[in-house]
Formats: sequence, C-alpha cells, structure tokens
Amino acid sequence: MWNSIVAEVLLLRKRLSTWILLGVWTIMHAVFGYVFPYVIYLNGDAGSAGLPAGLTPARLVGTFLEGYPFFGGVIALMLGVLAFGSEYGWGTWKTLYTQGPGRLHLFLAKLGGLAFLLAGFVLVTFAVDSLFSYALSLGEGAPIDWPGVSSMAQGLVAGWFLMAVWASFGAPLAVLSKGTSLAIGIGILYGLVIEGLISAFVNSVSALRSVAEAFLRANGYSLVQPLGVGGEAASSNGPGAFSGPYVGGEQAVAVLAAYLVGFLLLSALLLRRRDVT
Amino acid sequence: MEYVVETLDLSKHYGEHILAVEKLNLRLHRGEVYGFLGPNGAGKTTTLRMLLGLIRPTHGTARVLSQPPGAPSGLARLGALVETPAFYPYLSGRDNLNVLARHAGIPRERILPALEQVDLADRAGDAFKTYSLGMKQRLEVAAALLKDPELLILDEPTNGLDPAGMAEMRVLIKSLGQGNRTVLLSSHLMNEVEQICDRVGVIHLGELVAEGTVDELRGQGRLRLRVSPLEQARELAAHMNGVTDAEVSDGRLRIAVDAGEAARINRELVLAGVEVSEVYRERDSLETVFLGLTQNGSANDVE
Ligand SMILES: Nc1ncnc2c1ncn2[C@@H]1O[C@H](COP(=O)(O)OP(=O)(O)OP(=O)(O)O)[C@@H](O)[C@H]1O
Ligand SMILES: [Mg+2]
Repeated sequence: MWNSIVAEVLLLRKRLSTWILLGVWTIMHAVFGYVFPYVIYLNGDAGSAGLPAGLTPARLVGTFLEGYPFFGGVIALMLGVLAFGSEYGWGTWKTLYTQGPGRLHLFLAKLGGLAFLLAGFVLVTFAVDSLFSYALSLGEGAPIDWPGVSSMAQGLVAGWFLMAVWASFGAPLAVLSKGTSLAIGIGILYGLVIEGLISAFVNSVSALRSVAEAFLRANGYSLVQPLGVGGEAASSNGPGAFSGPYVGGEQAVAVLAAYLVGFLLLSALLLRRRDVT
Repeated sequence: MEYVVETLDLSKHYGEHILAVEKLNLRLHRGEVYGFLGPNGAGKTTTLRMLLGLIRPTHGTARVLSQPPGAPSGLARLGALVETPAFYPYLSGRDNLNVLARHAGIPRERILPALEQVDLADRAGDAFKTYSLGMKQRLEVAAALLKDPELLILDEPTNGLDPAGMAEMRVLIKSLGQGNRTVLLSSHLMNEVEQICDRVGVIHLGELVAEGTVDELRGQGRLRLRVSPLEQARELAAHMNGVTDAEVSDGRLRIAVDAGEAARINRELVLAGVEVSEVYRERDSLETVFLGLTQNGSANDVE
C-alpha cells in the first residue's frame, strides 16, 4: 500500500493544477489574512491602537484558521474532484484497474496521496501566516508571543481535517459525474449558494435553523471557533460568511467526521461496483 | 485440462436491445496465440473488458488464469491493452510506468527493459501527451510487459499504426507469443491474424460463429483442373473414390476432394484418356471465409 501511496503522491506532485491551487491558497492567506487588514490599519489612525491583535503571532492560529471552513474547503473540494474525476477524462481507471492491486486498494491509495497533499497545503499556509505575523509585528514593534505548541498543533489538525472533509465531498461528486467540471460546479454551488443562502436566512426563518446546523459551514465554523476564530472574522468572510447558529465543538467534529466517512463510503461503493468503459 | 481463459455462456447486454456479447464460450490453451476476429461492433472489446473485470457480465461466467475476472491474483499475472492507450498526459512515459509499477508491486528495474523492448527508451523522459499514436500504443505494450505476464490481452494493438509500425508491432507480438506465454489478440485485420495466430475465433453480433486454426477455417478447398474433354472428365471424376462433388465452372473442372489426393486423381484421369494440362488447389482466403461468416447472422461451427 505504501508504494501505491507514493505513486499517488508522484501523480499529484507533478500536476500543474496542484501547484496553481497551492499558489492561490497561499496568496489568499497572505492577502486576506494579513495584507488587507494591515493596509486598512495603516489607512486608519495608525499608531493610536497599535497593530490589530489578529495580525500578531499571539493570534496566529485564529487568523490561520479563518479561511478554512469555507475557502480552504473549496480548494480542497477541487483537489478531491481532480484526484478522482480526472481519471475519467483521461480514461486511466482502466489502466489502473488492469494493473491489478484491486479497486479498493487504489481508492485507498488515492486517499492516502490526498491526505499527504492536504498536509502540505496546511503546512505551507501556516508557514506563510507565521512569517507575515512575525514580520508585521517586528516592523510595528508589537510584542512577539508565539502560541503554545499544542494550540498550533490543534490549529494544523483542524485545518487539515476541514480540508479532508471537503476533499472527500469532492470524491463522490467526481465519481457520480464521471468527470471534473460538473463536480466542481455542483460542489461550489452547494457550498456557496445553498449553504450560504440558507445560513443567511436562519435569523429570519427559524425553521431553517436545524437544517443549517447540519451544514458543512456551520460545523466548520463551530469547529474552529474554540480555536480562536472570532465571530467577527467569520461573519465578515464575504461569500463564506457565517454568523451562527454555532453548535458545540465536539458535535461539529462528530458531524464532520460522519460526512467524511459517508462521502468516502459512497465513493468506494460506486467505484467498486460500476462498469469501467 | 486447465485453460488459461475459459468462458461459459458469457453475455453482456446493454438495455433490452443491445446484445454486445451473447453466450460466448471461449477456451484458450496455454502457450497459444489466439486471434479474436470480428467486425466493428462485434463485441470484442466488450468481451475483453469482461475478462479483465472492468465490466460485469449480464450472464455467464469466466475464469482467467483460474481466477474470477478482475481478481488481483489473476491480474498480477497478465498484461492488457484495451482500446485506446490511456495514461497520465502530463507524466513522462517513464513516470507513467513508474506509477503503474508501484501500484502493481513490480520492481522499478523492470521499467527500462520494458521501454527498450518497445523501442521507446530514448523518448521515455517526454510527456505522454507529446507522443504520437504509435508511441502511445507502444507505451501501452510496455505497460503490459512490466509484469512479464503469462497472458497478454491485446485489443487491436495495431490500430492506427502506419504500415511499418504495424509490421513492427506484429513482429513484437509474435516474439511475445513464443514459449509458454498465451496471447489473446483481438483484431479485424485478416493478414494480421493469419500471420500471428495459432487459432482463431470469429465473433459476430456478440456470438462466436466459428473457431479453429486458420487452415481449418479456410477449409479443404477444391481441386481445379484444366482438362479435355471436360464433360467426360467430370463424369469420371464424379465416380472416383473420395470425391464428394464434381462440377464444371469457368471452363475448368472443380472437384471437392482431400488435397492430398491430387496426384491420384490426375493419374486416374490420364489413364482414362483425359488430357490434364493443369491441376491446382483452390481455397477461400480467410477474408472470404470471414466475410461469409460475418455478413449474416447464421452460426457455422468449423471443427
Ligand atoms: N457502454 C456501452 N453502452 C451501450 N452499448 C455498448 C457499450 N459498449 C459497447 N456497446 C455496444 O456493444 C457492441 C459491441 O461493442 P464492442 O466495443 O465490444 O465492439 P468491438 O468488437 O470491440 O468493435 P470494434 O472493432 O469497433 O472495436 C456494440 O454494438 C456497441 O455499440
Ligand atoms: Mg473494440
């Protein structure tokens, strides 16, 4: 199995779209997490209040996680769709299947490759965020207090887990549509329009509340809230905005894990059973 | 007797009306090169896909290397090429084989020899998408050879190749089929099958309509003689031992008789006072037989 995972990592590593998405995600982190807030701070009455707390190393984990419940999710969704859906376009499922390790084995290998890839995305963006918070604090003479190792680790794991859930959402979409474009379109439509709109109406239509509480969005933000993503950061997240209702952190983990397992089981079942033509 | 491939009433239907493969019974002996001959849409690819476990039969069963189709232990001992070559377009030929070798648990040392065997070693570093069709096809053969397979399943491997490429591919297949390796080669090219195959099965509209060696399929043929006087010769020949039919056509005498009897027939005619100026054997080409078998739906088993 290890050899197969190495093969999948090679596949992802040599793929241009992987690097494009990594670049986009890194730039989003830098620009929305640090550059914009810093410019806004400079244009305000700078100096009076000092560097906003969100830009300091002390709040690194919270700022790092802000984008993960939605934007990171969409990036991961694309990675998940590309990993499974492209094989249809290239016709390479038959090439893989006739090599013989078994369909389930190949499926698990793909998941293993994706898991490594997502870890890379999380680590790179964390490094970029650390760098920005350090540089800004240094420049502004703000105190440089790094978060504890365990809270950094929690942040990394939470980011990875959110991406893993969304990537696994991409897998059945790709397998069902036997391709990439429709799968990415439907995935974004769901995340942006369906979850986004219904979440926005929750405060006026209370019946939608229990529906919204089951969403990836609600559970994602509820997961990162205890790790320092403030309510204001979440509600000002543009198309990924969220202003409640929150659920408990443990409930969020359980719901998201259930989604992850459900999506993967569905994909595995379809891949195993369906004809390859 | 253990067959390398054995199918029992193997069938694949798409919906109510398309019987892509219908009650197919194939048996491949170890070491033979079996030609699977059929016109477009006959069901060749569908059959091969079922043997590889890519699609499920609607009815019937198959065993490949004593395993159910698609079983990892069976696939580990066979190499296959189905329809068009499919690889990761952005990876080099070498990396593509590397990915497959890793999945199949094959040592990487086998990659270079496989590439050399298909004459692709000097382009192995280029991306697959930059390959010509012939190179893509050869890469697929290399992928099939990675495992040093007992069974090779090749679906129209010369499709799209130029004449030189076809000839090369045939030489390659012939050499691959030597020894104990079994080859199942699907094709609709008569000369290809005649040159390469020990035994041939003809499939038409999903059914096996004939099976045998190329010789058997072409049949005994007939003797054709230029004789004079014609009518007397026909009369004589019709009553000779072993002759099942004698007729006059195109100013020649045509008789149905075992080809080994030509000398005796000739002698008997001459002794009876008939002048014989030419004797030759006339046989249907494989193409004629094939067209005869595949232009209608009737089954006709040649043994
Ligand atoms: N996925 C599918 N859905 C519906 N019909 C199919 C499918 N695959 C094959 N068929 C039909 O099954 C029949 C056999 O097709 P198949 O591809 O096996 O033919 P073939 O002998 O390989 O032909 P060719 O020489 O053109 O490659 C055809 O009528 C084809 O249209
Ligand atoms: Mg075909």
